[in-house]
Amino acid sequence: MPRQTSTQITKFILLTTLLVVSAVSCLGQSTTGTVTMSATVSKFVEINSGGAVTLSGNSGGGVTTDGVTNSPLAVSINLGELGPSNTNSFVTAQVPLKLRSNAPYVLSMTASVSSSGTSASRIGAADVGFGLGTISRLGIGVNTTGTDTNATSGDPTLAANGSVNGTTGRYEFTAVRSNLSAFSSATTALSGPIIMNAVPRSNANGLTVPAFFAVKPQFFENGTTTISVTFIVTAP
Amino acid sequence: MSKSTKGILTTLAITAVLMMSAAATYAQTTGSVTMTATVSNFVELTSGGAVTLTGNSGGSIITDGTANSPLAVVVNLGELGPSNTNSFVKLSVPLRLRSNVTYQLNMVSTVAGAGATSFSLKDTDVGFGLTPAARPANLAPGVDTNATPGDPTVGGSTDVNGRWVFAGANSTLGAYAVSGQVLTGPRVNQAVSASSNSNLTVPAIFAIKPQFFDPAPAITITAQFTVVAL
Repeated sequence: MPRQTSTQITKFILLTTLLVVSAVSCLGQSTTGTVTMSATVSKFVEINSGGAVTLSGNSGGGVTTDGVTNSPLAVSINLGELGPSNTNSFVTAQVPLKLRSNAPYVLSMTASVSSSGTSASRIGAADVGFGLGTISRLGIGVNTTGTDTNATSGDPTLAANGSVNGTTGRYEFTAVRSNLSAFSSATTALSGPIIMNAVPRSNANGLTVPAFFAVKPQFFENGTTTISVTFIVTAP
Repeated sequence: MSKSTKGILTTLAITAVLMMSAAATYAQTTGSVTMTATVSNFVELTSGGAVTLTGNSGGSIITDGTANSPLAVVVNLGELGPSNTNSFVKLSVPLRLRSNVTYQLNMVSTVAGAGATSFSLKDTDVGFGLTPAARPANLAPGVDTNATPGDPTVGGSTDVNGRWVFAGANSTLGAYAVSGQVLTGPRVNQAVSASSNSNLTVPAIFAIKPQFFDPAPAITITAQFTVVAL
């Protein structure tokens, strides 16, 4: 008798537990939910053309492929005559560059000069003056805090940046990083802090800076010369 | 068996005999069964189905929504910097609501890991909105009140600093740093079975305009929805 009672009580408890569990399951309702999103903002640096090239002091020659604002920089220029028949003081090409970034940037440049000449009087890298001009951070969305560091000496045609060598008589660009021989390997030309504030990419503003290239017409060895310059912007 | 036990059993037996005699003497003609029950407030939020991710660069859906399952979606939105040339990175998450009473859907959100400068991605840079449609005929009648302006990719413009601003009030996660109402309405379901599939499905849309934000390798954005009965 006591054993039967005990068995019945156990069954009753089990049944009750089952009913309670079932009830809880039936009544269980989800009232919350989550959406979790992850994302990345990567460093971004960009160089484009800042607009049309200005060629001056040339004799013959011309701008073969001009720069177009906010388009990839792929300018091609015929500097024309660089011998003494060109009586201008300098042949100068001014190429506007446009930079944008969401991080500190470094603009480097690599240059090469090849000439068909074979003597010491042929045009060499040191005969091609180079420098970056006034840096402009203008327009909505452009960050104006911080200072850009120009590693060049600016416009190479400035009197302070070159002169005739008293011994050889050859005109030389003498200031720091004022000619292409300083850029035979990738070398910093400009660096600075973040350029753009938090604005959409469709914002067309940015940092603009003119790159000056200048050659003093001289009694160079006759021949053809090709000057190639590559700019690279990085986010260190 | 003890004497006292025997006495108790004898007394019970005599009482039973007397009661049976009485019942036989006075015929019982009525009876009653009394039942009590409860219908509690019921509100439910689950996933309304698969999410939709568009405009992403390198993103993906990690844990998708499954209709009528708990909402626990995980999505990688990918690149939000200017290298993503799409107009918006947009995520649409279907929410599924059921209730037998007036409901209120709330949301609370956070943005972490984006940096702390003025150019870092903020909660105000994450657009948000619900786009509920009119209730179908198989639901209880009524109008749901949307506290958001709807699809955040509609409208909007750049401010004086050039930064993108989503249009309208409650249009970004900046409005939900603390729990706030996003949708409310009368009972959703008619008196149908709990197994009925009738429900109110509402897309929740999150959108970010890729911009020159500060670099940040691991941004986490969370949004938690809670439905309560009013």
